[in-house]
Amino acid sequence: MLSEGAVKEINDLTGKYANKRSAVMPALFVVQREYGYVTEEGMREVANILGLRPVQIFEVATFYTMYNKKPVGKYHIQVCTNISCSLLGANHIVDFLSMRLGVKVKETTPDKMFTLSTVECLGSCGTAPMMQINDRYYEDLTKEKIEEILKGLK
Amino acid sequence: MATVKINGKEITVEDGTLILDAATSAGFEIPTMCFHARLSKLASCRVCLVEIVGQKKLQPSCVTPVMHGMEVLTESPVVKSARSAMIDLLLANHPLDCPVCDKGGECELQDITFKFGPRKSPFGEEKRRFHEEDYILSPVIIQNANRCIQCKRCVRICAETVGAEVLGSIDRGAGTGETSFVKEYLDCDHCGNCIEVCPVGSLMSRSFRYKSRPWDLKGVDTVCTYCGTGCQLTVQARNGEVLRVISKPDKGINHETLCARGRYGYSFINSHERLVTPMIRKGGTLEPATWDEALKAIKEGITGAIRNGGKIGGIASSRLSNEELYLFQRLMRVVLKTNHIDSGSRWNTGAVKTFTEVMELSRGGVSIYDALNTDTLLVIGSSISDENPVTDYMIRRLSQNKKMNIIIASPRGMKLDSSAALTLRHRPAAEGEIISGISRVLYDKNADKLNDLSGKEPLKSISKENISSLTGTDWGRIESAANFMSSSNSVTIAVGNDVLRGPSRLEFLNVLVGALRLLGKEVKLFPVFDRANQRGAWEMGVHPAMMPGYSATAGNGLGCEGILEASSRGEMDVLYVIGEDIVSDFPDGRFAEEALHRVKFLIVQDMFLTETAKMAGVVLPGASFVEKDGTFTNQEGRVQRLRRFLPPQGDAKADWEIIAAVGAAVDPSFNYGSAAGIFGEIKEAAPMYREIAFESLDGSGALIKETNRKGTDLKSVPSVASQMPAASPDPDYPFVLITGNHLYHSGRLSLRTDILRDILSEAIVEISEEDAKDLKVGKGDKVVVKGERYEATLTVHVNKRSAKGVVFIPENFTDVRVNMFFTKGEGLPRVRVLPLTGKSHGGGIK
Ligand code: SF4
Ligand code: SF4
Ligand code: SF4
Ligand code: FES
Ligand code: FES
Repeated sequence: MLSEGAVKEINDLTGKYANKRSAVMPALFVVQREYGYVTEEGMREVANILGLRPVQIFEVATFYTMYNKKPVGKYHIQVCTNISCSLLGANHIVDFLSMRLGVKVKETTPDKMFTLSTVECLGSCGTAPMMQINDRYYEDLTKEKIEEILKGLK
Repeated sequence: MATVKINGKEITVEDGTLILDAATSAGFEIPTMCFHARLSKLASCRVCLVEIVGQKKLQPSCVTPVMHGMEVLTESPVVKSARSAMIDLLLANHPLDCPVCDKGGECELQDITFKFGPRKSPFGEEKRRFHEEDYILSPVIIQNANRCIQCKRCVRICAETVGAEVLGSIDRGAGTGETSFVKEYLDCDHCGNCIEVCPVGSLMSRSFRYKSRPWDLKGVDTVCTYCGTGCQLTVQARNGEVLRVISKPDKGINHETLCARGRYGYSFINSHERLVTPMIRKGGTLEPATWDEALKAIKEGITGAIRNGGKIGGIASSRLSNEELYLFQRLMRVVLKTNHIDSGSRWNTGAVKTFTEVMELSRGGVSIYDALNTDTLLVIGSSISDENPVTDYMIRRLSQNKKMNIIIASPRGMKLDSSAALTLRHRPAAEGEIISGISRVLYDKNADKLNDLSGKEPLKSISKENISSLTGTDWGRIESAANFMSSSNSVTIAVGNDVLRGPSRLEFLNVLVGALRLLGKEVKLFPVFDRANQRGAWEMGVHPAMMPGYSATAGNGLGCEGILEASSRGEMDVLYVIGEDIVSDFPDGRFAEEALHRVKFLIVQDMFLTETAKMAGVVLPGASFVEKDGTFTNQEGRVQRLRRFLPPQGDAKADWEIIAAVGAAVDPSFNYGSAAGIFGEIKEAAPMYREIAFESLDGSGALIKETNRKGTDLKSVPSVASQMPAASPDPDYPFVLITGNHLYHSGRLSLRTDILRDILSEAIVEISEEDAKDLKVGKGDKVVVKGERYEATLTVHVNKRSAKGVVFIPENFTDVRVNMFFTKGEGLPRVRVLPLTGKSHGGGIK
């Protein structure tokens, strides 16, 4: 169940929009924060609070890749593989991370520390190749830089 | 108007006409896939692209309106190749498993591919596959999402028309699929409209699965005999077995839509429980007999009664055809010389009379499209979303494209509430008071203009406090309802048959209508009925005080209640009942049963051995709606054809044939040979039917028309407003029990159909969310509903929007005899609700 605070947060969100459906996206982020990912239960709760049908929440949650529909590790590494990043070697970055972490894309390490994903353009093409770990961007990536970053994440 | 050239052909159309429609009317075919005439525009498939001369890009004709002087090409080489490429894109991920697909033969994708599609495809990639095996989405739907072309017609019809909003587009891009929330089993209206509009074999009917190829079916266009909406439907059978019911976009007011009962309530036709031979009671048991024996017994019974000057009565169901109802009243009045006739056993005979007058039924039909072309719509006296589902769809759909203030007054919450500008939750049976309250507000605000209002005196004696306490409705809401009407140019008032359940104070509707008309508003009245031919029954004169065409009778007849009272006193010599299960329906089951026991000679004509039929001296087997010809008049006053398509089961006969045979047994000059012939006589007796041509009635039927009747309208004007005592809460029995039809059922017939039974086969009890909280129960819990004379254990359903203190139990089930809660003459029963932990089910006498 969502905490009382989270329920209040979602309820408060509705005040910001003329149409309750507009509150679905920020509400789903609340769910993701609370449960670690967007759970079925969480989607039902959002539907209930906003007075919508569960499928209307499900549509939004599945449309956007930013909502994790499965549990992710403590650190969710999302590597951009869109055009600018790819031209500057994003696939090597992915391969390197995969090798270092011992998981394939879309997988989580057995210790539940890291999940590796690939995503579309994160709007940071000027500093490609890049990745996002949880809420932070890491730009102009090289293998050395990644080693440094991973060391810092323990 | 705009004049455009399409493929060189000039055509003038209304401004704003879609290119697609203009081209169609010019005789050109443009393929479409995502487009649907009565759904919001999506324009996602691009199969309908056309070239507009002077524009570089092709445009989707399904959303692009014409402009004056436009030149459109629908068959240019670039259109053809683009169109074919678009179809190829739809096929890129489509499994093309037509040989094993139920849709084969009636698939829109097959059809357009054949006509406009590519012959070769450059796409050699592996196709997207969501799943290997088809999965069951609901009691009625089985899905193969691999075949889905993402047109979203299903999602749109479910949300925009049905209002259930349970389907959605999941994921994105090439991976998009249409399904339910986490693909779970659907708890929805089970209307199957999503299946009907799916252009491919993605959403399929479970009951029709692998049953037949469409070209092997024979069908008939006929009318649904469940509720008063009067939907057109097509019954299709193979080798005499009905396999499915479909709806057609170009037929009826309902077009492609139906509700669960219309679409799935057909299998009673082939039920093995059907009565297939007459039966006569011999030594206490009913035994099969021939028609000759049965008619002989009836002749003896009736002529004996006539000889002794005995009382004869008749009750015929409002689900019979006009021809049958007309013939029935003719038999009763002319041959058997009695006015003791009624249609159905649930309505108060006096309330019916008032209703027909205040609703101005004798003025002819009002098309639902005209009725809904209004600024304000008040719906009162009907849980319309459950009772008349397709009427509910039409209101929801039409209110989306037009500013219409919907006001819903009812004790129970309903799906349509979400489209309403205002809801008035009121105490059960307080419809008349709500209307008088609204009239009072209107009068106070416009007293100067309403000097000539007839009925203003009783209005003045109404106090705001009194109305609030009688209705349990906040006065502010009643004021808002009046204000919506004040600020509108047109007002439609839709009144359902719940107001017929008791002596409601409906005369005030006359005052309200009068006031609105004096204020210059256009007022339309729209009746809403839960039985398919309720209107026809009255128009055919099956009522003790009304002759065909609503003219008054001379002499005093008894309605159903009066007939039962006379029966209970042992005064009824002969009672002829057709299609009505009085024992199960009359609001006081015990009384009805005891009364019928005292009828000297009871004749029951039905398709099944109902509780009432079990008590009869002679039972006659009637026919189902696909086994006879005739007409029905829906709530609008639209006459539609019923068409014989299959022979009656066994020795059963069309009900009109039986009535004719019973009549002829008593009086050989009572001679009728065809439904069409009877209709000819109806035209004479009820002049509103004069212009209707039986043989040429087509898909949309024909509205009855007002005729130059002699005399003035009979109008009931309220006398002084009687002060009905406010419902005094009884701490022992704090709830009021109301009854009606469940969304999936109608009367008792639907319970004999396997698909509707699969959806719901046992009664439920619906309570408000507030009461559920107080009782600490939730959906699916068991409770005991206890009245003073009867109690039942039922599964709880919670209605979020219902008024507190109201309990609803559907009338459609046999496990709980809901009419046993009632005591004749005491109005709605009061009950208590006790939570239960355990599993027993069913009703019992205390
Ligand atoms: S059956 Fe009716 S209510 Fe259920 S998903 Fe289909 S359209 Fe919606
Ligand atoms: S399931 Fe059918 S109606 Fe729904 S989007 Fe797919 S193809 Fe269209
Ligand atoms: S029951 Fe009423 S709404 Fe449903 S299909 Fe039949 S006529 Fe239409
Ligand atoms: S392509 Fe990677 S950030 Fe834009
Ligand atoms: S039919 Fe016009 S875009 Fe689909």
